[in-house]
Amino acid sequence: MTSLAQLFFDAASLGGIYAMAALGIALIFGVMNLVNFAHGEYIAFCVFALIVPSTEAVAVMFLGKAPAFLLIPVLLGLGAGAAVASEYVVFRHMRKATPVAMMISSFALGFVIQNALLAVYGGRPKAISLWPDLNTPVGVLGAQVPLLQLIVVLTTLLVVCALALLLKKTRLGLEMRAAAENFTMARLLGVRANVVITGAFALSGALAAAVALIMATQTGVADVRMGGQIMLVAFIATVIGGLGSLPGAVAAGFLIGGASVLLQAFLPLEVRPFRDAFLYTLVIACLLLRPQGLFAASSAKPRI
Amino acid sequence: MMSKLGVFDVSVRYGKVPALTDVTLHLEEGERVFISGPNGAGKSSLLGAISGAVATTHGRIEMDGHLLTGRAPEAIARLGLSMVPEGREIFGSLTVSENLRVGTGLRRDRGAVEGDIEEIFEAFPILGERRHASAGALSGGQQQMLAIGRALMTNPKLMMVDEPSLGLAPKIVDQVYDTLVQLQEERGLTLLIVEQSSTRAARVGGRMILLRGGSVVGDGDAAAFAEKDLLSEAYFGQSKAQPKKEAAQ
Ligand SMILES: Nc1ncnc2c1ncn2[C@@H]1O[C@H](COP(=O)(O)OP(=O)(O)O)[C@@H](O)[C@H]1O
Ligand SMILES: [Mg+2]
Repeated sequence: MTSLAQLFFDAASLGGIYAMAALGIALIFGVMNLVNFAHGEYIAFCVFALIVPSTEAVAVMFLGKAPAFLLIPVLLGLGAGAAVASEYVVFRHMRKATPVAMMISSFALGFVIQNALLAVYGGRPKAISLWPDLNTPVGVLGAQVPLLQLIVVLTTLLVVCALALLLKKTRLGLEMRAAAENFTMARLLGVRANVVITGAFALSGALAAAVALIMATQTGVADVRMGGQIMLVAFIATVIGGLGSLPGAVAAGFLIGGASVLLQAFLPLEVRPFRDAFLYTLVIACLLLRPQGLFAASSAKPRI
Repeated sequence: MMSKLGVFDVSVRYGKVPALTDVTLHLEEGERVFISGPNGAGKSSLLGAISGAVATTHGRIEMDGHLLTGRAPEAIARLGLSMVPEGREIFGSLTVSENLRVGTGLRRDRGAVEGDIEEIFEAFPILGERRHASAGALSGGQQQMLAIGRALMTNPKLMMVDEPSLGLAPKIVDQVYDTLVQLQEERGLTLLIVEQSSTRAARVGGRMILLRGGSVVGDGDAAAFAEKDLLSEAYFGQSKAQPKKEAAQ
């Protein structure tokens, strides 16, 4: 029987990953009313940036070889750059398009990124080893917890606090919050639409890179399909949290992570393979009870 | 002489619905001009077209010799135009003081911002008392004051105010206009105000431009319009220029 502390760290670290991915989606939805389905592919892109481009089965570390103090900022910058570039190339030209048209182009963009990764790296999942030492267990509260789980939980808290501070205390944060509530009014007051939107994409891309680092370390696999899987859960988290609500995205991310771990631990053995069916039943129940999400966003005014 | 604001043959349509047709008007530096006319006359569309929030289909708009047509709203704000929109549109999830700061990003004199915020709080003491409160919790009158303060914080040369009296008690409206006039005198602002009531406009004083069906149908001293409206009210039981609003006030 796994200990309660072990369960807690499993839940908190999985929830932390979901929360960060969901935050990345909620940030952009907040300012643009865009559900960016390419977000998962930013994550996959960042994971693959760790290894040398090749279709060989064995991965050779590339960026992943760099020391952490270099690797982390470079990868965060790369994620931010990828997201900002996709805004510049795709979404900037669709500012006046309907939310549905934008969502569909984000799907298309996701496929383009995924297929580019396929072409460059091949379709087979590759084993990668990033910071293997982090998977050594340490004793916490009587449980053996991989160091990485502790780091994930702390990183999530740190990221959430940093983001909250940025939104609350900086000029860009103020402009982003104002634009999220009423974009036209913010622009009438001189807030530059391009600055706010680029800022939101940069933050979102950096969050994707953080998730990529954690997933690469934890799973030790680079797989072109990984983006789609995390995107699905993160998207559900943003919907349950209330589309556009940042606290909602974080709370729902942790909720889904927690529910997933608890179901895995306490479902009878014979139905455990169907864990996700139970999880998504809970999701449906949640949406039936609160269709607007746990935290309704302050407003969803049309952008621009 | 070049006027402060020039609107030349401007048309606006929403899909097939025309809202403004070939509107031409001019504002001089430091002037106070009221735009009046019944609901749906195109008053808000005119302000939208000037501020860049609404696209024009024809014509050209100039401020201080700069072409505004085709510019983004944030670029027009940078040229010194500020807007208090219909329904105030304050940021309800931000605090009072944050609302005042949203529009200060375009200013070069960042050092003067704190002093200016205190000045707004002097003009509207209730806002100062509630500076850390969520703006969404303010009353209608307080929100109107906040919207005016917020527009002033961009340090505009031309300020447009869309129906400041909408939904406010007459006493509060008096207060709002007193403050607007005082601020205009202190700062040398040019003011363009949408006001349906000609008697109100006459009491505040200024020029009045009458819109109807998307066209300018009158331009002159507000007092003259008020007199005419009083006359027609006496004859027809109701003023032509402002169908229902006047009775409510
Ligand atoms: N966003 C919009 N979409 C479609 N029609 C609009 C929109 N805004 C205003 N209109 C129409 O344009 C005309 C002028 O409206 P408006 O400028 O708001 O007038 P006013 O401010 O004088 O009441 C009206 O017929 C109104 O129904
Ligand atoms: Mg109007």
